[in-house]
Amino acid sequence: MSTQVWLSTLEQGLMYSLMVLGVYLTFRVLDYADLSVDGSFTLGAAIAAILISTGHNPWAATALAFIGGLLAGIFTGILHTKFNITPLLSGILTMTALYSVNLRVMGKANISLLRTRTIFSDFEKIPFIGSHGVLALTLATVIIVGIILYLFLETEIGLALRATGDNEMMIKSQGVNTDIMKVLGLALSNGLVAFAGSYVAQNQQFADVGMGIGMIIAGLASVIIGEVLVGTSSVARTIIAVIVGGVLYRVIIAVVLQLGLEPTDLKLVTALIVILALTSPALKKKFKLKNPVLSGKGEN
Amino acid sequence: MLSVRQIVKVFNKGTINEKVAIDHLSLELDPGDFVTVIGSNGAGKSTLLNSVAGNFPVDSGEIAIDGRDITNLPQHKRAGLISRVFQDPMLGTAASMTIEENMIMAFKRGHNRRLRRAIGSRERALFKEKLALLGLGLESRLTNKVSLLSGGQRQALTLLMAALQEPKLLLLDEHTAALDPKTAEKVLDLTSRFINGANLTTLMITHNLDHALAYGNRTIMMHEGRIILDIKGNERSNMTIARLLEMFEKASGTHINNDRMILA
Ligand SMILES: Nc1ncnc2c1ncn2[C@@H]1O[C@H](COP(=O)(O)OP(=O)(O)O)[C@@H](O)[C@H]1O
Ligand SMILES: [Mg+2]
Repeated sequence: MSTQVWLSTLEQGLMYSLMVLGVYLTFRVLDYADLSVDGSFTLGAAIAAILISTGHNPWAATALAFIGGLLAGIFTGILHTKFNITPLLSGILTMTALYSVNLRVMGKANISLLRTRTIFSDFEKIPFIGSHGVLALTLATVIIVGIILYLFLETEIGLALRATGDNEMMIKSQGVNTDIMKVLGLALSNGLVAFAGSYVAQNQQFADVGMGIGMIIAGLASVIIGEVLVGTSSVARTIIAVIVGGVLYRVIIAVVLQLGLEPTDLKLVTALIVILALTSPALKKKFKLKNPVLSGKGEN
Repeated sequence: MLSVRQIVKVFNKGTINEKVAIDHLSLELDPGDFVTVIGSNGAGKSTLLNSVAGNFPVDSGEIAIDGRDITNLPQHKRAGLISRVFQDPMLGTAASMTIEENMIMAFKRGHNRRLRRAIGSRERALFKEKLALLGLGLESRLTNKVSLLSGGQRQALTLLMAALQEPKLLLLDEHTAALDPKTAEKVLDLTSRFINGANLTTLMITHNLDHALAYGNRTIMMHEGRIILDIKGNERSNMTIARLLEMFEKASGTHINNDRMILA
């Protein structure tokens, strides 16, 4: 592959790893199979695209995309905690509802951001960064988000969130309202996913109502790849693993494309990666037993 | 201290599986009471503790601690008053988190949790000192994940966590039943040391009649959701296991055929 392809793969990988961090928060930290992700990724892209294409500040648009994702997560969380709808169904309901919402937000099925000001074009104006604007901004964002997430997971609230996913009965008996923790975790997760969506839209210079399809499985594949290769011995290490997984997933996709597969085949490839991960005996031992969400015999 | 008045708990109400687990039960505990609770399987012992802890609402009756009515308080809001140790060593700790992380969560029991770094050097020093009390060498393993500990170690840690932030009421539900006899004795020994040291008001369920009489200052026996025997003072110090079984048969009108309860 050419340097150019490598570079853009790296940029995309870092962008997607923001989404993967969101998936990690629900699937791993909260042990909650949240399928809202497909919808909230597009929601972030849609909010950013409509605001930017109508002349608004791209930084404000990106922040609003994050907030939109937060709200989507809160919606899923309330469906689950207040109305006792299963995690899977809550996520599917949000995802489905968001499909219409996203079309409403965008007003049409896709929006072009060609030759408009974006956070990346702003960054490229900074001296010495120039054409490396996308890489510089994305890398900085991933590092900052990773550090914030790590620090958050080590706070009193962060510990309560992790314990909610690990042993709900225990942390309840320590006085934590686990419903609030679940809503918080879902909100942050979907906020991150939407944030990633707004980055991807600005980078590829368009938003499309179908761009989030399969995002959850891509996120899951990335988490698994990262965890297997980097390990999960501590929170910091797991966060690094998740980011590395997000980038490597994009590399695998790029290689597959180079091998001559059509972009439309990618979802199949992604599903195969996850199936492989979940059925290979060594990984099965590592993940199936540990995580009821993925085992098919969970309580959901 | 703890005041339970006429509580009723029915499971699966209105179905063929309807089960009256607690049947107009009343119980008064004085401060510092250490009450052992015995009774055959299904007598309603765990349901009594779960009702007090707030796992589920009771169908009628009232529960108060220190004069404060907690009948309608959700479980997480009762946690400031009550701490618990369950039978299953896996239930009391978060396995994927470290020993010190588990301890800080228990240390914050009943307090608001904030957006600040959870563990500092002060907490670490305190935890080391407390862990040393267990005599298991855990004080040098603060950052080990709890999943690395044995069942007995986990249960000892859970017990320590339950006492870390002194509760008004300590609830122990057969918390040594899943351990091998030697470990069980050790954990039980720690239990009584913690309880006596802080003069904790305690309800301890046990299936071991020896333990029921050896520990605490009062023993209640449950049957079909009611308390059928409540002994303390001289009556209790003169009690033997054989007499206890006899009294059970008389009070319940049934023959005891539960090996688990007879065998120590
Ligand atoms: N969550 C529940 N749902 C239905 N029935 C239950 C539930 N918990 C306990 N029971 C029933 O209530 C009765 C009392 O149970 P429990 O309090 O666990 O007894 P013990 O702890 O004395 O062995 C039993 O008949 C049990 O089957
Ligand atoms: Mg029981």
